[in-house]
Amino acid sequence: MANDRLTGAFFVLFGVILWFWIIPTQVDAVDYGWVKPRTVPLALAALLAFCGAALIFAPSSEILPETHNNHKNHWLRAALFAGLLVVGLALMKAFGFMLTAPPLAFALMWLAHERRPLWLLLGAVAVPAFIWLTVAQLLERPLP
Amino acid sequence: MPELSIMLAGFGDALTPINLFFVVCGVALGQFVGAVPGIGPVMAMAIAIPFTFGLDPLAGIGFLVGVNKGGLVGGAIPAVLLNTPGTPDAAATALDGYPLAKQGKPLKATKMALYSSVTGDTFSDIVLITISAPLAVLALRMGPVEVFGLMLLAFAVIAGLMGQSMLKGVIAIALGLLAAMVGTDPEHGTPRLFFDQYELYDGLPLPAVAIGMLAISELLRRLSETKPNVSAAIRLPKNQPKSDAAVSWAEFWACRYTILRGSVIGTILGALPGIGSTAAAFMSYASARSANKDPKSFGKGNLHGIAASESANSSVMGANMIPLLTLGIPGSVGAALIISAFMIHGIQPGPFLFENQGRLIYGLFGAMLIANFSNLMLGQFGLRFWVKVVSAPESFIFSSALLMCFVGVYLASGGLFGIGIMLAFAVLGYVMTSLGIPIVVFIIAFFLGPRLEISLSQTLSLLNGKPEKLLDYPIGLVLMVLAVITAVLLSRRRDKG
Repeated sequence: MANDRLTGAFFVLFGVILWFWIIPTQVDAVDYGWVKPRTVPLALAALLAFCGAALIFAPSSEILPETHNNHKNHWLRAALFAGLLVVGLALMKAFGFMLTAPPLAFALMWLAHERRPLWLLLGAVAVPAFIWLTVAQLLERPLP
Repeated sequence: MPELSIMLAGFGDALTPINLFFVVCGVALGQFVGAVPGIGPVMAMAIAIPFTFGLDPLAGIGFLVGVNKGGLVGGAIPAVLLNTPGTPDAAATALDGYPLAKQGKPLKATKMALYSSVTGDTFSDIVLITISAPLAVLALRMGPVEVFGLMLLAFAVIAGLMGQSMLKGVIAIALGLLAAMVGTDPEHGTPRLFFDQYELYDGLPLPAVAIGMLAISELLRRLSETKPNVSAAIRLPKNQPKSDAAVSWAEFWACRYTILRGSVIGTILGALPGIGSTAAAFMSYASARSANKDPKSFGKGNLHGIAASESANSSVMGANMIPLLTLGIPGSVGAALIISAFMIHGIQPGPFLFENQGRLIYGLFGAMLIANFSNLMLGQFGLRFWVKVVSAPESFIFSSALLMCFVGVYLASGGLFGIGIMLAFAVLGYVMTSLGIPIVVFIIAFFLGPRLEISLSQTLSLLNGKPEKLLDYPIGLVLMVLAVITAVLLSRRRDKG
């Protein structure tokens, strides 16, 4: 229930920011037509704020899955994996897929507690090589 | 209605070697990913869509349909062997499949699941082929007011049935529609919500959003839950008597009414947006149990339990295509992904499909029937192989899937910017799932957003500021009233738990 109230408060705030700041600065004002460029976004901002307020006053009593609700460790690990993917994207920009994919796959598998050399080798070498073979060679499409 | 020659030409197209090849490959991939808990056919479809770019539309869409159908069969394997359904649809299968496997008859359980699944799937495909063209003719008579009313009704049903509460469903719809607003306004042509990122002028790239929310966010969740030294050790017993390893014709025939009932339940529920195959499977299971002479044997390895669940969850797939092909409204996330594949190939789903792309649609119907046959053959001979797949380490499968997502989105969006969008939506998807906000509803709203805005604009133009003019559009008005009633009823039902 506390989770729902926090979620509700977030959406009220988000709706208000959308209405007063994001939409006025990011959507052109047009004064003709039945549905102007701002009409639907403003309606959605109002709907989000309304639903957020409703969640604050009438939170759902259903319990979220344990993994999401209680285990902060999962959030941290998910953030770690997401961070690794962002680093992988940055490295891909600089060095390309073929140089980045093997260490990225290795790091992902290592963080997922994989320690068996054969599987690590398969994941870090065979899979990127298979992707290169199918995409760059067979489909003749460029890799990142 | 398309002419007979177009129908036959379409079915003929499905039988060309290249199309056959891709449908069979799709089914094999679907059974493979369905057998791996945590991947599933939806994620596989999301990842595979960009790779179908270079293919002929029928081969590409046939491949995706194959993945979806194969996944339904594959999902039963871990449900039976591990009591861990590969897909949520197979959860009811585990109720009787796992006890039967524990009695030393895992092959019997998986084969019953296979036969029931293929029978249910074929039943719903035949219903789809029979009624979709006449329905599309009716749908063609609908104007913007009726389309707008229908979309409101679809949103009310989807928000009410998916996720934890109506409020969270509505939040997911609002967020999905908001994401669909990014890009150029369809009526005035002015840029909206693009934050000086010129890559967003054409809107958020569909594959990046779909793969980010459906695949990457789930992979992040699964990776964050991996534990050291856990491996699924499954072994099939060797040298079993045939009666324990196979399903006899008499056993299958004894389940005929259960399978028929499951197929009808799945087809009816599948044709309604938002209900989904998991609900169909459990409803069919409950119905089979109450109709059985020995209900106490359910949950202890009764073949009727497996037949009920699998026939219902598989028959949802064909029926899901009815609103998609006739109205352009996806009833499930799998259908939404097939819509995106249509759009990637420059084909606009909806009632005009039968007029403009009749041959392709009947080719697709042919591909669906071929996929059912392939499912049967591959399942019949490949079950032992898929069992080995279940024991591949998650770390390997998930990291490989992540790399495929990177490459897939790069190919689809033509740059690393798309991968950035994908990662952003992966985080959003992870947070939304954690808070109980259904991402499937978000994706469907994102797909339908532009059409909703256009039909709203056309509706308001037709009404010309006079709400009483709605009375001139009785069907549209009835649909809008139904949408409101549905929303109220479903939210009350949710409140009562």
